[in-house]
Amino acid sequence: MMEFINFYLIPGITLGSIYALGAVGVSMIFGILRFAHFAHGDLMTTGAYIALMLVWVLGVSPLVAMPIAMAGTAIVALLLDRLFYRPLRELPTIYTVIASFGVALILRSLIQVLWGTEAHVYSPGFQKPLIFFDSLRIASRHIQIISTTLAIAVALHFFLKHSRLGRSMRAVSDDPELARIAGIRTERVIAFTWITGACLAAMAGIFVGLDTDVHTNLGWNMLLPMFAAALLGGIGKPMGAIAGGLIIGIAEELVSYPVLGVSLLSPSYKSAVAFIIMLVLLIFRPQGLFKGRLLQ
Amino acid sequence: MKLTARSLIATALAAAIVSTGVAAEDVKVGALMGITGPLANFIPPILNAAKLAEADVNAGGGILGGGKFTLVVSDGQAAAQPSVDAASKLVNLENVAAIMGGLSSGATVAAANAVSIPNKVLQLSPTATTPVMTDMEDDDYVFRIVPSDNYQGRVLAKIVLDEGIKKVAVAYVNNDYGVGIAGTFKAAYESMGGTVAAYEKHEDKKNSYRGELATMAGSGAEALVVIAYAGGSGAKIVKQSLENGFFDRFIGTDGLRDDILIEQVGADALATSFFSAPTSPADNPIAGPFHERFDKAYGEGSDKPFVDQSYDATMLIALAIEKAGSTDRTAIRDALREVSNAPGEIIQPGEWNKAVKLIAAGTDINYEGVSGQHEFDAAGDVSGYIGKFIVKGDTYEQIGIFE
Repeated sequence: MMEFINFYLIPGITLGSIYALGAVGVSMIFGILRFAHFAHGDLMTTGAYIALMLVWVLGVSPLVAMPIAMAGTAIVALLLDRLFYRPLRELPTIYTVIASFGVALILRSLIQVLWGTEAHVYSPGFQKPLIFFDSLRIASRHIQIISTTLAIAVALHFFLKHSRLGRSMRAVSDDPELARIAGIRTERVIAFTWITGACLAAMAGIFVGLDTDVHTNLGWNMLLPMFAAALLGGIGKPMGAIAGGLIIGIAEELVSYPVLGVSLLSPSYKSAVAFIIMLVLLIFRPQGLFKGRLLQ
Repeated sequence: MKLTARSLIATALAAAIVSTGVAAEDVKVGALMGITGPLANFIPPILNAAKLAEADVNAGGGILGGGKFTLVVSDGQAAAQPSVDAASKLVNLENVAAIMGGLSSGATVAAANAVSIPNKVLQLSPTATTPVMTDMEDDDYVFRIVPSDNYQGRVLAKIVLDEGIKKVAVAYVNNDYGVGIAGTFKAAYESMGGTVAAYEKHEDKKNSYRGELATMAGSGAEALVVIAYAGGSGAKIVKQSLENGFFDRFIGTDGLRDDILIEQVGADALATSFFSAPTSPADNPIAGPFHERFDKAYGEGSDKPFVDQSYDATMLIALAIEKAGSTDRTAIRDALREVSNAPGEIIQPGEWNKAVKLIAAGTDINYEGVSGQHEFDAAGDVSGYIGKFIVKGDTYEQIGIFE
């Protein structure tokens, strides 16, 4: 039983937390700007590398570097919007989707030019996990990742429910025309969407680096599970995206747990889990768990 | 007048034909490398070695009568589909005469099947080790200068038993490289009396392998054999095993013998671990001067994995083109064995100019490189050397060699 919690459930929640942070941005951008942002994974990578630079130059821990990396990534996202996405906003969204694909390649190549293609770690060596009650093993970085994600989820919930800006965002997500007529400043909402999405993406990227290593395909590799999580939660529903991320992360880890000595699925097919969940969901409940918008 | 004009044109035409006949021809050769992806950390010195060969050819008088020899580098991300795209770009857009690469087995096999073989382009890999390549229907267009994993798997099994380890668990990555070497290792180890207590394949690029490792740790194995790229899943597997106390002794192949492993887990934790990898012959007099030259040109890196092989592969391709006398791709394929296999006048690294003169004189040549003799058999394979490595300081040290 403890083996199940230590080596399957906790890594699953950790992975799910990372997916969740990335999926919130994907879901919000999808909801408010109405396009699938393929460069979101590479925004994660950008955040992870800004933090890496700060760790190298200032010698601080990646958690200390995180706020600056988040701010840097937000600036990058706003610049990308200004340069590439805003000029295309009036055109059919497929233009923006393709543009975001190009932006993903540009970001990744820039990172490769600036930092090289090698993988790096924030700190070398390994740490023994903390042990509670003689049996529960959990690495301190996993406690950090999971608790930060929980805090973000709570903060996001109150922000969207009770703040003026949060309510505007929900209004634009539900019906942009009506929101505009009601006097909501759409551009301000869009800017804030990018800032939130980018900050959470940077956080997710740093967490991946903290958990394993920092490399240039870090975010790109996680893009598809993040999209699956956003769909699972319901498009335009940030809280749904968090739930979706956790479900997919946990499911990926749990499927290889041997029940009575037999694994449900060989570990080499872990990656397929996100897509199986996504497909089943699209067939039986296309609006997602949290009743998001239907894809058209 | 009319006649003069016509004869003038004829003379001009003739002159043009003659001059193209003797004019130097510039030659482009593709270098298919996993610049990004799980092998990224290996690349810089490997690429430098290929560049050194390129420089040697150009400094030694150029190729095909003084033409410029150019390497066109293309990123295959050490994965199947991106490598097919990269190879296709090399062949169809850059119109290269031959391809040096890919590095990983999966990338090499995919690019060969989808691009090199159908387009009849010689592909010579400096590093791909999968047994699959031996029996591939390649119309003789695919070669490599490292021994097959049939060989490395057997040698590794012997090394492990020599260390007195009788029971191991094997974690291998689900691609041509991992599946190939794990299979040959398991068969050889069991036939020599060892027990494989757990045998589990995994997917690259995941963040947690704790679940699989926990299961494998319960099998009672003395050590974990990790057949994966350090930058892909290997280092994570070792790190997570150490953190959770699943295993404390690791046995790796060439994919794991990457500096990033030491960077990630620290040298102390790897004190009892050991590694196998294709290597250069122990007493090769060519190696010393070559490594000095390499370090002089690039500052460092001559001791890194596959530097020797990368130089030799590039040089062999250049020699085959020179021998073929043109960029005709099939002629290049046919010339490769002639320049690499005995008999013939021996050519060593840095002797490009001598080779050109011998080829012009019609003398048979036999290239003997830094990484071995390179005598290709009918399948395009070579026999070679496997080294045993341990961690010393912040790098690897070779402590044994098996032929």
